[in-house]
Amino acid sequence: MDRLEQPLPCISVHSLTGCAGEELVILENLQKALPLVRVVSFPFAQSANEMRPVDIAFVEGSVSQPHDLEKLKAIRATARWLVAVGNCAVWGCVQGGVCRRFTPEQMARDVYGQDNQIAALPSAPLDKYVRVDVKLSGCPIDAGQFLSVLASLLKDHLPYITHKPVCLECKLKENGCVLVEKNLPCLGPITAAGCGALCPTFGAACYGCWGPCEAPQMEAMEIVLKEKGYAIDEVISRLTAFGIPQEIYSRDKPLELKVSRQ
Amino acid sequence: MEQCFTFEKEQFPLFFEAMSEHGTVLAPVRVSEQSFAFRPVSSAGEIAFEALRTILPPKKLFYPQRETILGYEGRTIEERKPDVKPQVLFGVHPCDLAGLGVLDAIFSSDPADSHYLARRKATIVVGLSCMPDRYCFCNSVGTDSPEKGYDVFLTDIGGSYFARVNSPAGLQLLQSRPGLMQPASGDARQQYKDFWVNRDRAFQIGFKSGNLPAIVDMEWDNPIWEELGQRCLSCGNCTPVCPTCYCFDILDVASLTGDSGERVREWDSCQFSGFAQVAGGFNFRPGPVDRLRFWYRHKLHGFEDAYGFPTCVGCGRCTVSCPAGIDDIVGVVLRLQGGQDGQGGEER
Ligand code: SF4
Ligand code: SF4
Ligand code: SF4
Ligand code: SF4
Repeated sequence: MDRLEQPLPCISVHSLTGCAGEELVILENLQKALPLVRVVSFPFAQSANEMRPVDIAFVEGSVSQPHDLEKLKAIRATARWLVAVGNCAVWGCVQGGVCRRFTPEQMARDVYGQDNQIAALPSAPLDKYVRVDVKLSGCPIDAGQFLSVLASLLKDHLPYITHKPVCLECKLKENGCVLVEKNLPCLGPITAAGCGALCPTFGAACYGCWGPCEAPQMEAMEIVLKEKGYAIDEVISRLTAFGIPQEIYSRDKPLELKVSRQ
Repeated sequence: MEQCFTFEKEQFPLFFEAMSEHGTVLAPVRVSEQSFAFRPVSSAGEIAFEALRTILPPKKLFYPQRETILGYEGRTIEERKPDVKPQVLFGVHPCDLAGLGVLDAIFSSDPADSHYLARRKATIVVGLSCMPDRYCFCNSVGTDSPEKGYDVFLTDIGGSYFARVNSPAGLQLLQSRPGLMQPASGDARQQYKDFWVNRDRAFQIGFKSGNLPAIVDMEWDNPIWEELGQRCLSCGNCTPVCPTCYCFDILDVASLTGDSGERVREWDSCQFSGFAQVAGGFNFRPGPVDRLRFWYRHKLHGFEDAYGFPTCVGCGRCTVSCPAGIDDIVGVVLRLQGGQDGQGGEER
């Protein structure tokens, strides 16, 4: 590099407890960003990694083990912008949602045996422990959204990330509606767009992996799905499978309370 | 200008050839068991003549779902010219012709939307007659007969199409295949009239619309809004499908490299909670009840104020697209006309 040039902005990509889906998306698209940034740490993709101050740190995965938490705090301390990428980092995903009904101890015992060495925490999204500057949901994230977040942050702008419902993307693609036409339990109306309405485009119901849209109308969704013959338990388990806390949907009346009344 | 011809249905491929010569032919095709969409077609066989309503109305061909309107680089801003190609829009029913008429009025009033108008100008519109199903109510809002907005309008009179011509471009299209068109005979004219009389009798739902604007205002506090709004998902399915909804969002999309980027406009919906939110977080229509009532008013009354016409053209798209089943315009109007007790008004 020409010594007189401005140093390139530094980024890092880290993973806590997750499936590496986000890291794959980032790796696949890194080529487009490489002339513009220096990757100082990306253990998934390169062998020389430093823990030093960066402009942007992308963090995938949920906090599910004590060493996740240590790592997260160290990243936060050295990053100007901390971006939570993927449903795990933003909402907790399945390890926070589906597994909610078990204790960490019980799961460790059942999966790894009595004398396992697993030190597990109840799985949580990053913002339970540290300040998160940008949350980019997805399971996995959308490459276009990732690049636009990067482009904005490199210019020191907060990125625009849509929270309109999946139905918008679905209709703009002119898909037949699976909720209306096939009575499938599509959660597009209450789920944030960004995926390009991927599931409905292939004729399947949206199962809410992106997390809630800007103002999810939970009660209406419940009414509509119930009228189509879906049991309320099924609706709730679909809704919370990806780690979205039940309270977020209905702040005054948590879903759980309503259910126990029925 | 109005001239009448007929041609036999068997000859339709010839007519299709003539359309293709002008440009890309866009016609309804089947996209799912229940749905249709306007798509480019390369042969008459692909056309779903039976389509009543497409998922999205033809507005998408003039005002696309997502479109770059300008590009910027440093301090230089450059308008992006629309990509305009000659095209023929085939199979437009009277409600959608009226819908295009509404958008024409809106997009051509100052400041005119040059992209919309350029695409509109490059398009030949061929209308097609239809028989209403149980969701059509164009006759209640006065958009049931093809009046304007088309170059050629075809009425299905059995073995033949009865073609009415409304523009020089339309006439040229019909005359480009010598011998295809016959001047409409007396019999054909009678069949044409019979078709429209029968079609008029075929409507299954409707209301009398004369007093509508006043009633929508009077019933602003009717409990029906609360009742329907409680079911509203704020999913926004009702607005992209409406031939007369035109609201868009503007997004600046920065490019990764340098100081450049693009300004994009994308269809938006007044049913989203962020739509009427302003700086500081204040929201003029915070809840689904507010937003649904606003939408109904806009469709049934709102544009009386500014333009002198309501904007619902009676296509029934919102009714069939709403997952919550609350965009039953006809049912709601009848209830509003009947007053607080929710008893039906006068059906036609
Ligand atoms: S299929 Fe699902 S996402 Fe698409 S419009 Fe219907 S409810 Fe919305
Ligand atoms: S609303 Fe009227 S014009 Fe439109 S398809 Fe139905 S009958 Fe035809
Ligand atoms: S309000 Fe509904 S019925 Fe009326 S024009 Fe719009 S989509 Fe069609
Ligand atoms: S009225 Fe129906 S289609 Fe429109 S936002 Fe509400 S639920 Fe969705």
